[in-house]
Amino acid sequence: MRAPKSFEEGMDRLNAILAQMQQEDTSLADSVKLYAEAASLMQYCHATLEKTSLQIEEISAKIAETVEAPQEQEEE
Amino acid sequence: MADVISVSELNHYVKTLLDVNDGLFDLALRGEIANFVQNARSGHCYFSLRDDACSVKAVMFRTDARRLAFRPEEGMRVVVRCRATLYERDGAFQVYVNEMFPDGLGAAQLALEQLKARLEKEGLFDSAHKKPLPAYPKCIGVVTSKTGAALQDIRNVISRRWPSVRLLLCPVTVQGFEAARQIAVAIRTLDQSGKVDEIIVARGGGSREDLWVFNAEEIARAAFRCKTPLISAIGHEIDYTILDFVADQRAPTPSAAAELAVPDREEQQRIFENIEENIHKNIQKRLALCYNGLEQYNFLLEQSAPSKILQQYSNRLQQIQQTVRTQQKARMNDKSMQLQHAAALATSLNPYRVLARGYALVTDTKGKVCTVEQLQPEQLICVRSRQYQARCRVETVEEINESTQKL
Repeated sequence: MRAPKSFEEGMDRLNAILAQMQQEDTSLADSVKLYAEAASLMQYCHATLEKTSLQIEEISAKIAETVEAPQEQEEE
Repeated sequence: MADVISVSELNHYVKTLLDVNDGLFDLALRGEIANFVQNARSGHCYFSLRDDACSVKAVMFRTDARRLAFRPEEGMRVVVRCRATLYERDGAFQVYVNEMFPDGLGAAQLALEQLKARLEKEGLFDSAHKKPLPAYPKCIGVVTSKTGAALQDIRNVISRRWPSVRLLLCPVTVQGFEAARQIAVAIRTLDQSGKVDEIIVARGGGSREDLWVFNAEEIARAAFRCKTPLISAIGHEIDYTILDFVADQRAPTPSAAAELAVPDREEQQRIFENIEENIHKNIQKRLALCYNGLEQYNFLLEQSAPSKILQQYSNRLQQIQQTVRTQQKARMNDKSMQLQHAAALATSLNPYRVLARGYALVTDTKGKVCTVEQLQPEQLICVRSRQYQARCRVETVEEINESTQKL
């Protein structure tokens, strides 16, 4: 059982698990297995929802230096 | 002939003459831009202003140029506020520009409408090109000023709604004519970084002129080429910039853009908890069903258990035993009664009792009862009564004549 890549994937999988569990012909053993998988997914999704600190990074724009001035004057 | 003076002295003298003139110190000048360049390192701008007949050199220092709301283009008609004086080193007469405006917003508006029409015809605004925003972005690129209110608004909203997302800020200046280029490059940089799921281009408020930069064709084309879904959030409610038409989504403010960009945590929490509850309920129901089923089997098993069967057979056996005993007893009674009757009858028929009344019995010597007509003369017989017997010899056997019999 692997960790989901994203909250979205986690939720999608949880929905799929629920649908599978709701099917009449799913055996009890399979249900229990699905439930175990759901438990770890729920933990992941819960943690994602609980995360509160926003992370900010910076990237600098790659500006090609094409502008040139013929001469340079000093600001007075 | 006057004194010989140096070039420096001349230039200084002329500059002094010009600088004391109030009319040259702050003037509004109309002209057309020519030979516009900006020094990449210092940020100062150098160009000429001209009319039909004449031209004058012009300088706009970085601190002033930064406030430019549009990108000066070759041949653009502008009005500048400036000071006219001499650049001593070169002896060059030039104007130092503090502010620059397009000559009449009407002209600028016309140019804008033309650009808009052209881009629309090219299909840059087509809804077919609009990309849907990701439902759960993991990383959002932000193109805005590092120090502006827009970034703060975006941070606040996203911190509240979906803090698990990462923001990748590409800081740009959002005013001044170099802004257009920076913004265009920032969009491309973020798009090509491959790190972001969507991009917000934001500017928090400002006058119509301040926001004019977002009408730049360069930005429009960068936004159109951008493969990442892009939200425009230029801080104004009423007017649309060209970027708004090209963007995949247009938000009226940076805060609104942030709301569009991420899901709502509380709503997601509700959805999540709903699923969570359903899954828990499902397994509980399932287990309950299984227990119930088991209970039934258990019941059935108890019903058909060997001991139960044995008990049943045992009960039946007892019943049968009881029946047998009862019947046996009844038969015994019957038979015993019959026997008693028979015995009574036998007793009543006992020949010895007849002997007691004085009769005698004739037997042969072996004790076998003989009838008289069987007897032969000279035969030895026994005649017995109840208590005695006499051994006798038959003399004759005669038939008794009924008529001679005396009774």
